[in-house]
Amino acid sequence: MDKATEAQGSDAVYWDPYRPDIGENPYPTFRRLREEAPLYYNQAYDFYALSRFADIETHLGDIETFSSARSDILEFIKEDIDIPKGMFIWEDPPLHTVYRNVVARVFTPKRMNDLENQIREYCARCLDPLVGAERIDFIADLGAKLPGGVIGMLLGIPDEERDVVRERVEAALRTETGKPMDVSQATYQGEGYEDYLDWRAKNPSDDLMTTLLGVEFKDETGTTRKLTREEVLIFVNVIAGAGNETTSRLIGWTGKILGDHPEQRRQIAADPGLIPAAIEEILRFEPPGPAVARYVTKDVEIRGQTVPAGSAILFLLASANRDEERFPDGDSFNVHREGPPHITFGRGIHSCLGSALARVEGRVALDEILKRFPDWTVDTQGAKLSSSSSTRGWDTMPAYTR
Amino acid sequence: MVDITYIESGGEKHVVDVDAGRSVMRGAVENDVRGIIGECGGSCLCATCHVYVDPAWLERVGGKSEAEELLLEEVCDLQSNSRLSCQIKVTEELEGLLVRLPEKQV
Repeated sequence: MDKATEAQGSDAVYWDPYRPDIGENPYPTFRRLREEAPLYYNQAYDFYALSRFADIETHLGDIETFSSARSDILEFIKEDIDIPKGMFIWEDPPLHTVYRNVVARVFTPKRMNDLENQIREYCARCLDPLVGAERIDFIADLGAKLPGGVIGMLLGIPDEERDVVRERVEAALRTETGKPMDVSQATYQGEGYEDYLDWRAKNPSDDLMTTLLGVEFKDETGTTRKLTREEVLIFVNVIAGAGNETTSRLIGWTGKILGDHPEQRRQIAADPGLIPAAIEEILRFEPPGPAVARYVTKDVEIRGQTVPAGSAILFLLASANRDEERFPDGDSFNVHREGPPHITFGRGIHSCLGSALARVEGRVALDEILKRFPDWTVDTQGAKLSSSSSTRGWDTMPAYTR
Repeated sequence: MVDITYIESGGEKHVVDVDAGRSVMRGAVENDVRGIIGECGGSCLCATCHVYVDPAWLERVGGKSEAEELLLEEVCDLQSNSRLSCQIKVTEELEGLLVRLPEKQV
């Protein structure tokens, strides 16, 4: 049989990113993939998948073979959609390099870390009114608000307009349970930010939007120029879209995982020095983006099988993060874990540009939650999970604060 | 091939043969030196390949770019001999280079 590890009977391991019954707890399936089909082929949806840490680490950085030019979302790759110019996360070098360098110059770890105090104040504004309440919701009360708020801080969008921005982005990227992503969602190019951009162009400040409007760079033709209005809008869209749902999911998983591990939660509350390690372990244990997809540009041999040019392949980061070869006792949550870091932010030139921001948001949010609510129990009945081919996490995460 | 010595914060020592032309970061991640992450693959963006260059080697590894200077402000426990190892290119002159790894990268 030519196609690798195709299902050969009812006992063969099966995985796709759409089935809610698998998405609820994909880890037993991921374990079987790693053991039985480290190079997996799914015939129903025609894609390959890699699940072992070492394989993913080796191949994800090989951008000549595994291209991002048709996006990093499985459904979009299959449809061969038109990618808007300037959508740098979905480009290969040299164009990717040009744009990413521009963004890296303006979207620096320093700029993100400088937001720490503002993020703390924002958390306080969200959480203070809840002190004394019997029940909180990690998503509705914080996870749904904070990331959009922070993007607003970065871009300099006034407080009162931030919720509108967040809702717009969410609506553009939401999928229905059990269904692939609608391809029309890929064509969203930052509509809705235009008014704000035009106003900011006339009222410059020290925010990211102002910086993007003023930055000069050498484009792929060697011309030194500023970004066009369209390019700025796409950049804003990428930054807002990438940092919103994922960070909300991180906060939801924080509520869920620490609710399930009260001993460790108490240790963290007693010793806030553990917070950074706790956030890293949460990111390993339940990555908000469990998989990224690539387009295969040329025949490539993996594990003795040929993956043909033209294929779509998924890199299962969430599986790699549990790989026992790399993380002993990987299915256990342990904030005291030592050793190599997770691969949640990817590897190589497309690795997450906002990882520093995600970390500062996660750490500050956990700190501020624990100060007010050192104990909680998840309301399992009321918690609602959703997953797509690119993200997985909680739409609601209610908890009793005892 | 150029011999490079990496000493992890816990004291574990790795002597690795690295091809000239590769970066010191690459030499680490391709040879299971776990104290270096190299998340961004050498694009000078993530500051997860922080090393302390042995003072005897500091001049020979060359200078820092502006981008590296800016990013170094982000690392944990910055010292005067801190460098981002993705920005140090391995050459024959670096035979025997010694770098120490910080306790953590993020």
